[in-house]
Amino acid sequence: MESHSPVVVCKEVTRVYRQGSQEVHALRGLNMEVAVGEFTAICGPSGSGKTTLLNVIGALDRPSGGQVLLEGRDLAALSQRERSHLRRDRIGFVFQAYNLMPVLTAYENAEMVLALQGVDIEERRERVEGLLADVGLAGMEHRTPDELSGGQQQRVAIARAIAADPAVVLADEPTANLDSENATNLLDIMEQQNRERRVTFLFSTHDPRVMERARRIVRVVDGRVETDERRT
Amino acid sequence: MSFALWTMILYSGLMSWYLRDMEATIVDLEVGDLQVHALDYRDDPSLHTRIDDAEALLQQLRAAGYRATARLLAHGLAAADESSAGVAFFGIDVPSDAQVSLVHEHLLEGSWLDPADSHGVVLGRRLARMLAVDPGEEIVVLSQGTDGAMAADLFNVRGILENVGPEVDRGGVFMPAATFRELFVLPTGVHQIVVRRPADTELDVAAEAVRAAASGLDVRTWRDLMPTLASFMDSARGALVMMVVIVYVAIAVLVLNAMLMTVFERIRELGVLKALGVSPGGILGLMFAEMVIVTAMAIALGVALGAPTLHYLATEGFELTSLAGTSVMGVAMSSTWHADMSAETFAVPIGVLILIVTLATSYPALKAAFIDPVRAIHHR
Ligand SMILES: Nc1ncnc2c1ncn2[C@@H]1O[C@H](COP(=O)(O)OP(=O)(O)O)[C@@H](O)[C@H]1O
Ligand SMILES: [Mg+2]
Repeated sequence: MESHSPVVVCKEVTRVYRQGSQEVHALRGLNMEVAVGEFTAICGPSGSGKTTLLNVIGALDRPSGGQVLLEGRDLAALSQRERSHLRRDRIGFVFQAYNLMPVLTAYENAEMVLALQGVDIEERRERVEGLLADVGLAGMEHRTPDELSGGQQQRVAIARAIAADPAVVLADEPTANLDSENATNLLDIMEQQNRERRVTFLFSTHDPRVMERARRIVRVVDGRVETDERRT
Repeated sequence: MSFALWTMILYSGLMSWYLRDMEATIVDLEVGDLQVHALDYRDDPSLHTRIDDAEALLQQLRAAGYRATARLLAHGLAAADESSAGVAFFGIDVPSDAQVSLVHEHLLEGSWLDPADSHGVVLGRRLARMLAVDPGEEIVVLSQGTDGAMAADLFNVRGILENVGPEVDRGGVFMPAATFRELFVLPTGVHQIVVRRPADTELDVAAEAVRAAASGLDVRTWRDLMPTLASFMDSARGALVMMVVIVYVAIAVLVLNAMLMTVFERIRELGVLKALGVSPGGILGLMFAEMVIVTAMAIALGVALGAPTLHYLATEGFELTSLAGTSVMGVAMSSTWHADMSAETFAVPIGVLILIVTLATSYPALKAAFIDPVRAIHHR
């Protein structure tokens, strides 16, 4: 039943930043939906509102107007605490950089969300060891982030984001700090997870090679959806 | 932080010993806790102004758990060979005086009074030097008895005291009470009763109790008798507290600064944690957990450094040979300075440290807990 209703719904979403007397309209009535199992890229020029959109969908930021639904729940109706729990339980995050806790090992970083949820240690081990192997980090579980390459760090972040079976993984320019080989590699892993586990990905990028890999490309310009293109 | 704690433990140990030693010197050697005189005696110390029924009062006080002894006081002259000096005579009840005062333990040379030796006296240190007498030699004593006639006699110097207090050092001549009574023709009455309170009784409480027992008499505490010293000691204690406060404020500022730096340096990490759903309470917990670990290590190190040093000072002390025999505001200094070592010497600095660190951590921790994840993650 849930698989037929969209995971994310944005209706006429606006976001206005106030900087002193100036107003910046980052989102200007944006509409879009994301269905379960999609692999969607949000692209657009710098400053078009991609980061703002992902923050609003991820319950990190509140829209100035319009409505955002996650699995049918209106984010505006949630308290601070409920939003925090929603992020922990239903959303996976991959940021552009500095995703990981530098004092924790790859394994500890990957199991962090599960630990926050209170999942017991045995179950955590089962899930996280398999996941780290899937993202190509078998044998590197005990390295700290500074002993991993940038690409490896992003893969740990992907493992952490999908470990708790979220409704959607939001990734804001996950490949921006990677060279093309590592970027391709990361996309391979994301695609594989999308195919094998039906993980819903919504990621932003302005790299044409990354866009090519998406099955749906939403182009955002000036805070609105300009084109929405599905490929087979 | 450890170093500050170490300093504080040592400093409070040393100062607390110093002040306690000073008070002990005053109380043990000089004036006792309380003194009782006849009403006019302190304004006009005359041989004739006496407490008549001393024995009843002494018994009443002793029955109530106080230690007390009666003393006879007079002034006069002492001479040996060519030199002479003004002196203060103390006629004491040898057995009960030893319960009240530690003067008898502070002999530099010779021995203390013996009631059987009616012509043996003990002199203050500077008086003995002025008269150039050693134990075994003789002095002549001159004064006026209650009968108005000249009181004069020849005495044997049995012993010479260490520094105990300026009055005794310069002119103290101790003799058994019976000898005093004979010399001054004074069959009854005493001039002064020196009282020591039980250890668990506060000075004010003791003063009230003694006043109730000694109606019609003048009762004073050592603080009343030596007001400048008492206030010097109070302000020294105040200075100790001030010093401690300053050090702790400095620690607080350091901790506050360090924690703010930590928050600033880890702002992106904190942002990611909040984005992943860690609650403000969880972040507070993390910040305090870190502080607890750091503080616990600092305390362990501070105590590890402080305990042996303090133990050494408490048992060995450090020699103040250069200060031996000097006095601070008229109170004789001990020749070695020790430190107090008690649970309190540690507990107070540690307790205050924990309190200060907790307070200083609160603001940065709250700041971290309520950080906006979006701004933190994109912080550059
Ligand atoms: N915190 C902010 N305060 C003010 N303006 C902001 C803030 N964040 C973003 N903006 C502005 O909003 C617009 C959209 O930004 P953003 O969502 O970061 O775009 P993108 O991620 O597509 O580059 C830009 O014009 C940017 O300058
Ligand atoms: Mg952006």
